[in-house]
Amino acid sequence: MKTRALMSLTALLGLAGCVTTPQAPPPDENAPPPAVPAQAAAPEPAPQPARPEAVPATPLRQPKPMEQVVLARPDSPIVSFRLVFHTGSVDDPKGKEGLTALTAQLMAEGGTQKLTASQLLEALYPMAAELDVFVDKEFTTLSGRVHKDFLTRFQNIFTDVLLAPRLDAAELERLRANAISDVENGLRSANDEALGKVALDALLYQGHPYAHFTGGTVQGLKAITLDDVKAHAQRVFTQDRLVIGLAGAVDDALAQALSSRLSALPEKGAPRVELPAVPTTAGRTVIIQKPTLSTAVSMGFVSTIRRGDPDFFPVAFAMSNLGEHRQSIGVLFTELREKRGLNYGDYAYAEHFIESPGTTYNRTNIARTQQDLSLWIRPVVPTNGVFATRGAVFFLDQMVKEGIPQERFELMRGFLQGYTRLWEQTDQRRLGYAIDGLFYGTPDFLEQYRQAMAKMTPQSVQEALRRRVQPEALNFAFVTEDAEGLAQALRSGAPSPITYASPKSEELLTQDQAISSSKLPLRPEAIQVIPAQQFMEK
Amino acid sequence: MRRLLPLLLLLLGTALPAAAATPTPASDAFPYTLHTDTLPNGLTVVRVPYPSRGIIAYVTVVRVGSRNEVEPGRTGFAHFFEHMMFKGTKTHPEGDRERILGNFGYDDNAFTTDDITLYYSYGPTAGLPQLIEIEADRFRNLEYSEPSFQTEALAVLGEYHKNAAAPFLKMEEELNAAAFTRHTYQHTTMGFYKDIQAMPQAYDYSRTFFERWYTPDNTLLFIIGDFDDAKVMELVRQHYGPWDRKAAQVSVPAEPPQKGPRTAHIDWPQPTQPRQVIAWRTPGAGTSPTDAAIQTLLVDYLAGPTSPAYKTLVLDKQLVESIGSDYSEHRDPHLFTLTATLKDERHRDTVRKTLLQEVSRLAAGRVDAARLKAIQDHARYGALMALETPRDVGIQLGWYAGVTGSPDGFQRHLQSLPKVTPAQLSDFTKRYLTANKLILLSLTPKTDAQGGTK
Repeated sequence: MKTRALMSLTALLGLAGCVTTPQAPPPDENAPPPAVPAQAAAPEPAPQPARPEAVPATPLRQPKPMEQVVLARPDSPIVSFRLVFHTGSVDDPKGKEGLTALTAQLMAEGGTQKLTASQLLEALYPMAAELDVFVDKEFTTLSGRVHKDFLTRFQNIFTDVLLAPRLDAAELERLRANAISDVENGLRSANDEALGKVALDALLYQGHPYAHFTGGTVQGLKAITLDDVKAHAQRVFTQDRLVIGLAGAVDDALAQALSSRLSALPEKGAPRVELPAVPTTAGRTVIIQKPTLSTAVSMGFVSTIRRGDPDFFPVAFAMSNLGEHRQSIGVLFTELREKRGLNYGDYAYAEHFIESPGTTYNRTNIARTQQDLSLWIRPVVPTNGVFATRGAVFFLDQMVKEGIPQERFELMRGFLQGYTRLWEQTDQRRLGYAIDGLFYGTPDFLEQYRQAMAKMTPQSVQEALRRRVQPEALNFAFVTEDAEGLAQALRSGAPSPITYASPKSEELLTQDQAISSSKLPLRPEAIQVIPAQQFMEK
Repeated sequence: MRRLLPLLLLLLGTALPAAAATPTPASDAFPYTLHTDTLPNGLTVVRVPYPSRGIIAYVTVVRVGSRNEVEPGRTGFAHFFEHMMFKGTKTHPEGDRERILGNFGYDDNAFTTDDITLYYSYGPTAGLPQLIEIEADRFRNLEYSEPSFQTEALAVLGEYHKNAAAPFLKMEEELNAAAFTRHTYQHTTMGFYKDIQAMPQAYDYSRTFFERWYTPDNTLLFIIGDFDDAKVMELVRQHYGPWDRKAAQVSVPAEPPQKGPRTAHIDWPQPTQPRQVIAWRTPGAGTSPTDAAIQTLLVDYLAGPTSPAYKTLVLDKQLVESIGSDYSEHRDPHLFTLTATLKDERHRDTVRKTLLQEVSRLAAGRVDAARLKAIQDHARYGALMALETPRDVGIQLGWYAGVTGSPDGFQRHLQSLPKVTPAQLSDFTKRYLTANKLILLSLTPKTDAQGGTK
């Protein structure tokens, strides 16, 4: 792995040339006030490189049509199927936002030509077989699990869902109504944390195919017809967009039979959507207004790196240090929750994160051409909204400027050497990583990460951070009731002191003073308030 | 009578040297073997070999939950206390745990229910000696300062706020309040909002709570994975052996019989779907594995994806987004529920009647035996498919052991499921899901015409 560490600088120089595009906005639009006086405490003499004006869409790699990934585990009685299609909400036509998700849902739930929706449920039920679909921006995963006692029967149903879906009008109406309700009653109303994250997505990727909610917009969903769904299925669920994953109690015969059946899918799909470069415009704020007891906060920027870039591992390491998802070891968790009692948790991510159900790990197969780096502050009482935001930026800034102390660095390295093993404990997750590796060009990704960590130093991590993570590039999304009050507080830049009901150390109180008067990297003129009821309407 | 059995065993356990039970063998329903010992102090220690390639799950379940919060003004304390268990001891002050366990990369977390508090650490076998030492130390010697306690109370308030955006917490609060007049199931595990706000003032009570419930005879330890059993048991004896407190005798008030149907209603001040919950007070899983198995099967029989109600309400008429049940095993008599997320307020009566008709049909003895068999198959294969990692196995074992008081509670449950007969399903329904014991909860969104809220 020495070569990887040595390579990083040259690779970086190579990349530096391809991150500017002609479509980029003029540089002065991208100049918010700095979070903290630039370079003030930097131990490194080298100046921090300027952030590019846009992140281009360097295409992901393209595996060959119906490429297979087989991870046989003969000691397991369970077979896992994982069909990953290179299609997602980016393929939704304008005005029909939600089409890919609704099509995938209708295929998975709406029955097959042989079985009605109800019969499909009855057939799967006694086997306790799982048949799930998940749609993200660029990928759609159809996964199945079944006990080997029922393999043949399940395999036929699982493939029929794709090859001979019923695409029934009544089922379309049922699923469309649910999808609209998910936006109107779910996203806008019942989960402030998810709302904040989707609002940040929409802000970062304004005008880009990533911007709309993967589940669709209300008007987009209403405009979809059954013919749209039929045509879309033929356009995107095709051989050239498919990777076939199989794991557990599988053999060559099964792998071959599955490929052979799936070769009945259309060979070629619609031409791939050309993603535009994303301007790295910084300092924007969106506040979603709705009745709520608290304020939810998300912040982030479009990242100049993704898996496969030599800087990805050190930046991922640093963001885990700042706030590994739902683990108490992160800096933000310790500082904001444990010491200050601001909320239930505070986390940081080097790439887009969607919690895999029942775990604290990221989902697999949500690869993105243009990644985002983000921080997530779980709901705080509204009076602490600005302080908590400043706190998160403060500790991010501190990590970039001062680096990670050696002792802390060693702790995090030990943590991630063990914790990353938990990310690959199930067949579906192992398949997921292997398939992601085909698109990012990162075979054996987790093992490569562990080997890279063995070579990292606090200095090498800090150098990568200084190249890739600029706190002044952040954008902000809030969900709160008194949106105007929050906007006013943010615009004014006035200090946001905090008081505690319990005694705190002098050291903490001094740090609080620095936090509460620190300058947030947001532009007062770029604060937008949106009532929740209008969010993702069209 | 059955209920006394686990208690007697534990009392005997305290007077005897470590008692090793015969291993509970693997079966088709649960393909792992349990090796169970009881230490002289009453701590039950269960090891489960699992081919996990260097990974273990370490699960400690304490038989304490919001059920044990008997004093007024102290609701939510079992859950709050779960948070405090991460605050350190004299030997390992706050932050030490992260430094020691963090170095191995453990996923280190916990959760609290109405009946149990379950702690788990999931990570490399290599850290087991350190883990045993630090776990035994916190269960024996937890120590935290008042300011640390007060700060953590605010994190709990943050958790309440996080949960309050969706209607579920409010619905659970109202349903419990309608169903229970004396029993502590009256409040949710989160606790009353006003009690959570007042938590910072209850430092002294928190010490009492620890002394009262965090005792070896009220705790079961499960270790799942690949490890050297003899070495592990030696370390467990060494570190947990001196733990010598005894569980307090605090009785939870019994709930008097319900004398007639009850109703509760919520106007929800935000856009949401109308909801309907139909609930009945039913026997707990702590007393009868058969009643628990029947209720598990009833969930899918009445509202599962192959039930007639699902076909009518979800698929054919499309009057609801979903139907289901919030039933989960409880130590004392709790609730069996049917739930519906409606598409329109106008269909509430139709939906409620359709669900109740299915209950009446079953009570009248009209049981679809083939569907019951399919549900039993589903339960069996579903359990096998759900046990994918040592953590999955540990949490399932810990949960059922905590509720039933028996280390093999989960296997007993799995063994009971296929034995349930159509007649038992019908008899149970006739006996417990009656009009007289009904509790109806409705929720209606109340927002103004502009889409804002009142």
